[in-house]
Formats: sequence, structure tokens, C-alpha cells
Amino acid sequence: MVLVLAIGDLHIPHRAPDLPAKFKSMLVPGKIQHIICTGNLCIKEVHDYLKSLCPSLHITRGEYDEDARYPETKTLTIGQFKLGLCHGHQVVPWGDLDSLAMLQRQLDVDILVSGHTHQFKAYKHEAGVVINPGSATGAYSSITYDVNPSFVLMDIDSLRVVVYVYELIDGEVKVDKIDFKKTATATTHSAH
Amino acid sequence: MLLKAKFKLPERARRAFPDRLGSLVAAGFEDRGEEDGGSDQALELGEELETFLPSGFGSGRELGGYNGDDDDDQGRRGGLVEPKVVLAKPNKEAQVSASVSEVIAADDKRSDLEYELSQKEINLEKLQRNASSGLPDGGSLRAKAWKLLLGYLPASRDLWDKELTDNRTKYAKLKGELLLNPSEFSRRNGKGLSFNERYADRDVDGALERHDVSNEDHPLSLGKASVWHQYFQFTEVLEQIERDLQRTHPDMKFFSADSSLSRKNRDAMRNILLLFAKLNPAIRYVQGMNEVLAPLYYVFSTDTEEQNAAYAEPDSFACFVRLLSDSVDHFCEQLDNSPMGIHSTLSRLSELLKANDEELWRHLEFTTKVNPQFYAFRWITLLLTQEFDFHSILRIWDSLLSNPFGVQEMLLRVCCAMLLCVKSRLLSGDFVANLKLLQRYPDINIEHLLRVAHDITPDRSSFDMSSNLLLDG
Repeated sequence: MVLVLAIGDLHIPHRAPDLPAKFKSMLVPGKIQHIICTGNLCIKEVHDYLKSLCPSLHITRGEYDEDARYPETKTLTIGQFKLGLCHGHQVVPWGDLDSLAMLQRQLDVDILVSGHTHQFKAYKHEAGVVINPGSATGAYSSITYDVNPSFVLMDIDSLRVVVYVYELIDGEVKVDKIDFKKTATATTHSAH
Repeated sequence: MLLKAKFKLPERARRAFPDRLGSLVAAGFEDRGEEDGGSDQALELGEELETFLPSGFGSGRELGGYNGDDDDDQGRRGGLVEPKVVLAKPNKEAQVSASVSEVIAADDKRSDLEYELSQKEINLEKLQRNASSGLPDGGSLRAKAWKLLLGYLPASRDLWDKELTDNRTKYAKLKGELLLNPSEFSRRNGKGLSFNERYADRDVDGALERHDVSNEDHPLSLGKASVWHQYFQFTEVLEQIERDLQRTHPDMKFFSADSSLSRKNRDAMRNILLLFAKLNPAIRYVQGMNEVLAPLYYVFSTDTEEQNAAYAEPDSFACFVRLLSDSVDHFCEQLDNSPMGIHSTLSRLSELLKANDEELWRHLEFTTKVNPQFYAFRWITLLLTQEFDFHSILRIWDSLLSNPFGVQEMLLRVCCAMLLCVKSRLLSGDFVANLKLLQRYPDINIEHLLRVAHDITPDRSSFDMSSNLLLDG
């Protein structure tokens, strides 16, 4: 039972002052084992805050990040799943699922987490699953101003993942969940 | 399970009372007669008195004294056996045949116990008496005896199977309910139908279905009713338990090695302690409970009867709960100063010492100001598991568990005996030296210690004894 927080596109301080209070009250240290961050934090203070929630922090570079040392993409293995991380501004057209699927095949991962669009998405295709945690602060994006703050918490338990989606809608936290399983053979193998 | 340290009478072992197996065992159980002379030393050279008191044991206690004068009364009361008094041989001869007779006596004891435990209706009093002189290591006698003494197994054999299966299933059920990982929990309760629907068609690409999460059942939930919240509340407890388990008996491979067996043991102990913490939120887990659990779990899982050893975990849990039920108040900080708390027990220890050896008591209390709470706290809360090596602990626990007046009563006596046995060193020491001595108690002959403990005059002013006197008229 590994809890992985997927979060990103906070744009602090440029587009948002801080995380919503309701989110902050839920995010306490000690519960989460890994944090994967799509990028665009943008400053070191946010990095330190995330680090305080969980020492295992993985982060990729967004175009507005002030720390240039973050990698463009990252892969890691948690339990039986391979996760890939990328901010998403590099994948053009932005948010296009086929292009993201190409990136996923390149990285050879089961779950690709990418952001930049500030819209939550969870999509399954034959190469695996793509998750976009949205923007945790609800910052405006290059595409739209209408953004609900959201982030994602994944509960990885051997071959099964439960994805909890936390969204702030009209001032209330709404939680949804998504279940999916990985078959013992690779997910790229479709049932023929 | 040596009956006597040095002076073994070869004859004793061969003395036969074929019609009364109980008395053969009592043959090894010599202590009653030694009160004459009232010394708390070991045997005086070359002289010992023994008396057979199979049923007299209980009544001897009730009279509140351990003096041999009760012997005659025993004959009338118990009515089973005439007292016998035997003078010892001079040392030299005794010593030569000492080891042989020791072995014979030990074997006798073992076969007596086996006979006892194979009866349909187990005579608990007899078992208590036998056990207090030590149970054999290895085999399954100790495990069985402890289970009986703690009240886990009922006295009549026929009920054993039912009791055992009942308890074991109860434990498994409790484990399933309380020790479950929240994600497993949600998996079991989760929307079974939609699961199957979705996975029937693996090839569907597209946005994944979102399901509403009700009841605050998400990992970050702060709601009290949430499974997750409850789970995370116990992570601190779990961490503490883990840390303590790593430190349990580091010299014993059974507990502390890196092998899978050892890890399995630690896992089992962790489950037991965590379950206990969850079932007792008022006390949860206190450092040291792992030490109290360790001997129980060890004895039950080294039971040579495969059937029992496999269920060491549920059995140890039940016995651990029973064992701790007496002394659980010692672990609760709020009760420290109450009549049930640790301080009151410590003052009872003081009183007991005062009643037995005022000089020593005065020296400790006033002259050197060594208060019981400096040394006896650990003795009492952890049932002496930290003061002696493992083998001695098992022997001492035989005596503790087999005391008809309860573990705590015997515990206080053993503590008092511990003080008496190092009396000369204590009398000549100051605060620092005494504290050092008592906090790292020196190696001592356990049988001797337990003998002294048996001989201790109970504190007549204490509530328990007087209530027993009243009950027995």
C-alpha cells in the first residue's frame, strides 16, 4: 500500500499565492510515501514545502521553474508499476492524448503523469494510463482561466492502483476515485 | 529444574509411594520444612527437613504463615498424606550421587507432569504446586502448563479442543477486522460489479470512469469515521512497536536474527501487540509490553506439538491479555498514584520488605534513600524479564504463574527476595552503589532466589492477605 501524491502546476508566486487552505489541511506529513511533481512550482520555497511532506520527491522541469536543474522527464518504479513523469509543455500539441501516448511508449512506463494543461485528466490507452493532476492552486493556464484546483493521490497496491482525485469545486473538496489494474503481462499487450 | 542446588538425597528419588503419585512429586518440593529456624539463607549444611504437603499447600498459605508447625494440621486437613520428616545425609555422599539423582528426579518430575496433564480433569492446585518448583524445558509441558495456569485452557480436557478452536477463530476474525490495511479494506468493500464490467473489456480506450468517494473514504481524510484516518492514527504506535521488537532479546536468534523465521516471529508479535493496542485504546502500546510477550510467545512456538506451535500467535495473544489483565494498571500513567497504580504496588513492596527485614528496609529507605521506584519499577511492570537471562526468566515465570494467589503477589515476593539475597552488599553500599547493584542485578542461583521468595512472610497489614484470611474463615 504505497501512497503517491501527483501534484503540479502551482505557479507560486506568479499566478497564485498558495495552495488552497482546504488542500493544505489535508496534506500532512507521514501519510504519503512519494511525491511526483509535474513542474512549474515555481520557487524553492514550494520545493521545500513539498519536501517536508515527504522526503521522496520527484520533480520535472516546467517552463517557468526557477530551478533549472530539474530533469525534463523522469521514470521511477513503485511496486509493480513503472511511472513516468514529464511536465507536458514539451509535448505538442499540448494535452493531445496521442502525442502523450507516444511519449509514454518512449519512456516505456505504465502510468504517465504530465501536466501543463491545468485540467485533470485520466485516460487509458493501449500503452497504459495517462494522468494529469491539473493545477493544485487553480492557477490560470496558457489555454484557459477557468481552472479548478486539483491534485491526485494514487494508492499503489501490487497490481492494482486506486487513483483518488481531489478537486476544489465551489469551495468544497470533492473526492473521486478511479480503479485500475495491471494484468500480469505488460499493459502494452492488448488482448488478441 | 533442579530441585535443590547441592544437597540431593539419592533416596528421595527412589522412595516410592505407588498409590499416590502426587506425593512423589511433592518429594521434590521440599520447602515447607525449612522455615524452622526462620533463616532466609539456603539450607544449613547437612540438614534438611521435608514434608509432604500435597493438599496442605493451599491451607498452609491460608494460615498466613509458612512455618512448619502446620504439618500436623496438614494431616488432619488435607487428609491425604502423613507428613514425613527425613534427615539428610552428610554432604559428601550426597554430592557424589547428586547429579545422577538430579537427572532421575528431573525425569520423575517430567513423567509426573505428563501424567498430570493427561488426566481428564486436571487438578489445578496440584499443577500449581508442581509448576512452582519448575517445569521442564523443551517438550510441550511448559506450554501446556502455562496455558492451564493462565486459565486459557479449561481444567477438563474434553473442553480443550472447543476452547482452542473458538479462541483461534476469534483471533483470526479480530485480525481481519482490525489489522486490515485500508486499501485492502476498500478493495474488499469496493464496487465489485463495476470492477468486473470494466475488466471484461480490456481493449476499451478512453477516459477512465470516475466514481464518487463517499464516507470520507480517501487516504487524506481527516474524518474520525474514516478507515484511513484510524489507520494513520496507529502508525505512530506501529513504529514504536517495530522499534521495540527490533530490540527484543538481541542475543537470541529466535527474536532478532535476519532469517525469515525470525522475521515471522517478529511479525506475529507485532500483530499481537498492535491488536492489543487497538483493542485497548486507553493504554495502547507501552514500551516494554514486547518484553512481557516474548517469553509467552517463545514457549508457545517452541512447543514440540506441531498443532500447538502453529497456533502460537493466537494462543500467545490470549495468554498475553490474561497475563496483563492483572498488571495493566501499572502501564497507565494516569493511574500512577491511584490504589491500583504502580506507586501503590511499589509501596506494597516496601511494606513487604519492612515486614521481613526491617534492618534492610531502614537502610534502603532512610540511610541510602534508595526508593523502590528507582529500581523496582522495571522489575514489576516487566515481570522481571529484564533482570535475568532468558532461561532464568522462564523458570521464574513458572513460579509466578503457578502462585495460587496470583502473579502480582508472587512477583512482590520475588522482588523482596531479590533484595534479601543481596542484603549484605546493600547494607555496605551507599546510594550510588546500591542503585547500580539493583539496576543491574547480579547473577544468582534462581532456585535459591525462589526458595527465599517462598519463605517470605507476607505483609499481614496488606489488604489482600487479610481479605483471604476473612474468606477462609
